[in-house]
Amino acid sequence: MKRRQEKLGWLFASPYLLYSLIFFVIPLFGALFLSFTNWNLISPQYENVGFLNFVKAVKSQEVRAAFFVTYKFMAMFVPIVLIGSLAISLIINSLPRFKSLFSVGYFLPYLASGVATSIVVRGILSYNSALNVWLRNTWDLNIDWLGSSTLAPLIISVMIAWKFMGYYSLILTSGLESIPTEVYEAAAIDGATGWVRFFKITLPLLYPAMFTVTILAVGLVFGIFTEPYVLTGGGPGLSTNTWQMEIYNQAFSKLNAGYGSAIAIIDSVVTFITILVVRKLLEVWGEKYGWD
Amino acid sequence: MVGTKNKKLQTVLLYTLAIIVLIIMMYPYVYMILNSLAPWDQVDRRIIPTGLTLKSYIWLLFGGTDVMPRPWLRAFANSMIVTVSSTFLMMVTAILVAYALSKLVFKGKKTINNVIMFQMFYPSIILLIPTFILVRKLGLYDTYWGMIIPKSVSLWAIFMYTNFFKAIPNELIEAAKIDGANEIKILFKIVLPMSKSITTVIFLFLFMERWVELLWDMLVVHNQNLLTLNVMLAQMFGPYGAYPGPMYAASVILTLPILILFIIFSKNFKEGIQFVLK
Repeated sequence: MKRRQEKLGWLFASPYLLYSLIFFVIPLFGALFLSFTNWNLISPQYENVGFLNFVKAVKSQEVRAAFFVTYKFMAMFVPIVLIGSLAISLIINSLPRFKSLFSVGYFLPYLASGVATSIVVRGILSYNSALNVWLRNTWDLNIDWLGSSTLAPLIISVMIAWKFMGYYSLILTSGLESIPTEVYEAAAIDGATGWVRFFKITLPLLYPAMFTVTILAVGLVFGIFTEPYVLTGGGPGLSTNTWQMEIYNQAFSKLNAGYGSAIAIIDSVVTFITILVVRKLLEVWGEKYGWD
Repeated sequence: MVGTKNKKLQTVLLYTLAIIVLIIMMYPYVYMILNSLAPWDQVDRRIIPTGLTLKSYIWLLFGGTDVMPRPWLRAFANSMIVTVSSTFLMMVTAILVAYALSKLVFKGKKTINNVIMFQMFYPSIILLIPTFILVRKLGLYDTYWGMIIPKSVSLWAIFMYTNFFKAIPNELIEAAKIDGANEIKILFKIVLPMSKSITTVIFLFLFMERWVELLWDMLVVHNQNLLTLNVMLAQMFGPYGAYPGPMYAASVILTLPILILFIIFSKNFKEGIQFVLK
């Protein structure tokens, strides 16, 4: 019996193990090896260049841009998506009827392709779009939406927030539902209503769910690719040049596979440290204000 | 009396707000559908187009007077082939591994569990370039397999199934064993039927993510006849930007299958999502 399970366990796990060996272990060492070479993806010749790729990356304007663009996206996207999904889950939670109908509706954007949404966003913001004509005629405003280095990242942030709000609000809604009604009743006796109730009870008790959503949102910022690739190509200037864009450009457009690998390694270190710092900050604040 | 009146007003305001937010969330979808059906001189020009035409769809499928038709139907089929096979493999591997990790006793189980956790939190971007090189070396460049095999295992799905299976009581399994059922029978006759709702959610999420994948599919396939719909649409964005109508039509075609799947499964989805979010 035990021996059968022993065999079966390994048999069931074998597809995964084989896959991980081929598509995780080998590429992992491959990436480390590549990052110390100047291989160009095509020629059979390449040489070991030591840490040159890393030095070059740190000095590169594009990589620096990617570094700051990520935090810019974080500063825009994370607050928008947090406030948006919180608002949505508060609405859903206080609706007496049709709760699930609305939450399904709010969830639908999560199913959209980034390419399709980019097409819609470009359409809405194109020079002769109904919106722009109206702005020009009525308000005398002529806005170059995607040509502005402040607006372009904001538009992408709003796009991605639109996509994820419904999804994140599901997490927050289940957090809201787990707050016992007795707590609210007790607070009502003490005279806490409206905003006081929201800031003193709802928000602190929702902290674990907010924590999860914040970490998810921060992690997401490092993986932005489709929207800037399709919509802005990283521009204007380098204002939407994300890490993934930069890695893609270097490795597959300019064929610098070695250099691209070095950037990917730097990116993963930055990602890891940033998420660790954000986690720590959230924990410290949570403890300080007694939220958890 | 004042209280009830206030309450009523509050409810009306609440629903108004809920509907306004719903309209905002749905607006891009509506915009996409309306513009895919709009006369070409009205695309992106009007808030609500005044006419209806199938010209954009016809152009997309049969080509215009000056533009060769691109293989859109083929691209749709490619997306289906790749997504269905990939999702199927991800589901099967996840179910097998998760069953082993949650219900079987064998040496090395703990190590595998830890490795999965490590892999899950590992930034996968490092692997992109070397995986591409590997796939080319394996001769999978410009094939369906190049898109399918590297996306045949989902760590997230393994993780979700493992947690779910752990919650299924062992007594049920023991009882079945006493009745003479083997592990495979137990997996298919007891464990899987109990996992319907979570299977729905995992399937839908995997399918959706695979369906809209851009970067990987764009890298490993060059042949026009093998491009997925999402990639072809992204490539059309630049050079074919002058044909916005057909781009909306293609977007609609890209979006519909997932919406249909979601609507079909939405009943099971509601139960399953609760578990996934915990």
